[in-house]
Amino acid sequence: MKNQLRELRALKQWSQGELADKLGVSRQTINAIETEKYDPSLPLAFKIARLFKQPIEEIFEAED
Amino acid sequence: MNKPNTFESVQPCSGGYSLKTDLRLNAWLAVATAVYVAILILSKRHPEWSPLTRGLLMLVPLFPGLFYVRACLRFVRGMDELQRRIQTEAWLFAALGSLVIGTIINTLNANGVLLGELKYGLTIGSAFIVTFVLWLVGTIVANRRYK
Repeated sequence: MKNQLRELRALKQWSQGELADKLGVSRQTINAIETEKYDPSLPLAFKIARLFKQPIEEIFEAED
Repeated sequence: MNKPNTFESVQPCSGGYSLKTDLRLNAWLAVATAVYVAILILSKRHPEWSPLTRGLLMLVPLFPGLFYVRACLRFVRGMDELQRRIQTEAWLFAALGSLVIGTIINTLNANGVLLGELKYGLTIGSAFIVTFVLWLVGTIVANRRYK
């Protein structure tokens, strides 16, 4: 799954650690999502969308 | 937001080490080990004890051991979703790997190939060691995949 997490985080000027703290996950999880090695669960995806005040489909895009 | 549990918090040499988390996770293991050693010493000093007494006493460390299992489960539940996935993969690898190694050893043993320590199959002590080593390998491999 493709995502815009790195770009959105850069806009807010947060480090991976800061974003991880805000979401209650580890820095490794943020890095794995950004590098598209790991797809977050639905609750975490909603948390990310709520934090960036964006619809979930604007952040995550399914690959066909 | 609460910080999720990570293995760094229980690794003394890492930057994120927390004594509180380490104690919460490993205190019961220390108690179980201390009780086991104490019973071993007592058992050697009292050869007159019956096998039943000796056997029952040797089972006592299992009780703090069960509390250790509970502490481990709580620790894993406190991890974030990626860490839990890594642990699931590592434990699956360890459990299946131990079964495969045990089967290989027992098959070779049944056909008279193995001698020495392994001639009685995989003992419970060696099963613990094999599972732990495979879990360690599984954790390292899974961590690398998501790095």
